Amino acid sequence: MTRAERPGHNTPAPGAPLADPGSSARPDETSVRWQRPSPLLLRARRIQAGLVTGPIALLAGLLLGVAASPAAGLGTGLGLGAAGVVAERFLARRVAAWGYAERNDDLMVRRGVLIRRESVIPYGRMQFIDVTAGPVERSLGLATLRMHTAAAASDARIPGLERAAAGKLRDNLAALGEAQATGL
Amino acid sequence: MTHLPPDRLPVPLPPDSGLAPLPPDGPQATPGDAAKLPRTEREASWHRLHPLSPLVRAGRHLVTIGTLVLVLFFANRKGTGSDLVVNLILVALVLAGGAVSWLVTRWQVADGVLRIETGLVRRQSLRFPLSQVQAIDVVQTGLARVLGLGELRLRMAGADSSGGRLASLPLADAERLRQHLLSMARAPGSLATRAAVATVPGIFSTGGEPADGREPRDSREPGRLLFRVRSRRLAAAIALSRTGVIAVAGITAMVAVGMLNRQPGVFASLLPLAVGVVLAVWRQFNSDYGATVVVAADGLRLRSGLVQTTAETIRPGRVQAVRLVEPLAWRALGWCRLEVDVAGPRQRRENRSESRRLRALIPVGSRADAEQMISELLTTRPAPSRLPPRSARWKAPLTYHFLGWGSDDRYVVASRGRVCRKTTWVPLEKVQSVRWVQGPVQRRLGLASVRLDVAGKRVTASIQDRGTAEAGEILRRLPGLASDARTRHQAAWAAGHPLGRSGAIG
Repeated sequence: MTRAERPGHNTPAPGAPLADPGSSARPDETSVRWQRPSPLLLRARRIQAGLVTGPIALLAGLLLGVAASPAAGLGTGLGLGAAGVVAERFLARRVAAWGYAERNDDLMVRRGVLIRRESVIPYGRMQFIDVTAGPVERSLGLATLRMHTAAAASDARIPGLERAAAGKLRDNLAALGEAQATGL
Repeated sequence: MTHLPPDRLPVPLPPDSGLAPLPPDGPQATPGDAAKLPRTEREASWHRLHPLSPLVRAGRHLVTIGTLVLVLFFANRKGTGSDLVVNLILVALVLAGGAVSWLVTRWQVADGVLRIETGLVRRQSLRFPLSQVQAIDVVQTGLARVLGLGELRLRMAGADSSGGRLASLPLADAERLRQHLLSMARAPGSLATRAAVATVPGIFSTGGEPADGREPRDSREPGRLLFRVRSRRLAAAIALSRTGVIAVAGITAMVAVGMLNRQPGVFASLLPLAVGVVLAVWRQFNSDYGATVVVAADGLRLRSGLVQTTAETIRPGRVQAVRLVEPLAWRALGWCRLEVDVAGPRQRRENRSESRRLRALIPVGSRADAEQMISELLTTRPAPSRLPPRSARWKAPLTYHFLGWGSDDRYVVASRGRVCRKTTWVPLEKVQSVRWVQGPVQRRLGLASVRLDVAGKRVTASIQDRGTAEAGEILRRLPGLASDARTRHQAAWAAGHPLGRSGAIG
């Protein structure tokens, strides 16, 4: 069995393996068992989008309502709100695109809808790992895990992990990183 | 590690020190222990820097200050004498500040440690265990050259330590001190040498030092000259580079505007801009002038500079990537630039943009120069011969011609760029992560790119616009190849047979 064919050794995440209709072009579709972030991530993203869109729509509506006519204010507010709802449609696809796979020697992370990315980060290259959680993520019990390598450009971020799972993954990765550590 | 960390070495108190001694670092730092260590009187005494050193250190600011004072002086000449007095007081204050900084700065070499004490208000006592010194360089700025002074720079092992500076000493003294410090750093059987051997592996390069790291390394020992830039070609190359073209265009525009308006005021307002443009060109010329590369046991030694000379040493195993840059105008003349990306502490430079640029081994040279240097840096040299699929023409009509990649079991090479062709070699064992990227246009055309990240200044070898099948194959196989290369590399280092011919990449 070659390196690339080894399956991930962790238990699969909740939910079915990632089903992405446009993903036939992606490499490694068959040999890698992808795990995906918690379904709560979509809710977190929705809340975040709402928190941004709501006040902006309200404020713009009020300002225009006072400055021009109430109808213009109402229209603007509703328009912005509608834009937020449209953005929400894209959110669902973006959230669904996230996936990660722990393989024997490296971590794979995939993301993106318009621009698709797939990163392979060898455990031995890890410099440090951090787990962060913003207010929205925290309220839903989620956390974002980020792996740092010596290269500034490497980008390994897994958002929307349940906090316990994030902690476990972090410890797991740290142990693997230590076992396989190499210098620069 | 079994040896005492050099920080914990007992330090004898300087007998003639009027200051409070350094707090003892450990319980073993008792006078009894200190007395056991041999210590010569000469080494223990404190020295001062050259009295003119504040002047040298002010360096580039001095010109500004001088101009300012002159301007103030002439502006105030018509007025009363009191303004002149104020100016003179200001100058006197600056001079007094310099004198005080000289008075309170002193240095000492004792027991394998260089100590520098400085600062009047915020007193600093710096200790540099010579065992951990990576390199000692003598640097001369323009003014220091005129005055025959030199600055001694110590490069230490720490990741972000700035290293020690002794600025300035008479040049002969600086050279002698450097010899002395280097010999102390590797005195046979001394604690310092053992510490040097024990501390260095693992901190810097993959798998540590080569076996010959035990042997004394004389940074004065003559190396093999690899390259020396030709001054006339450098001037021509800068004129043909982006900086040069912008400068010429800018100055032409300014002159044109001035001629049309025929008003001195316009010139005056454009003057700062002109000065800036000229300075940019000058800075480039100054920093690249006389660039030489020498291969020696301790790595690649680079030296360059017209007014301000700088010297650096790239130690074996620290080159992360090699990049060959061929701008359009240079290509016609068969010229190119060769840069390397080096991991490790970022050099503190005067201007920010400098630190983001890669280190140019060859600022400008012929293809033959570059070929020779590349063969020195890389053991094998795969060519970017695998061309992209025809559909890439639609996505990259201009760069298509130069897109390509290649690999063997040690290196991956990728080239791109139309106006400025860039070919990047990355050793497989240095690859930090691999990314597969596909944009919307690429998806339509059935293309994808693979990027290889290495440590350092955001260098990525980008295998651009491959067919999806090929890109997927690269992504699938490359991590395994890189991991194999790492294992092989570490085994080679452990066995003391660095694979690289010069060891610059290793």
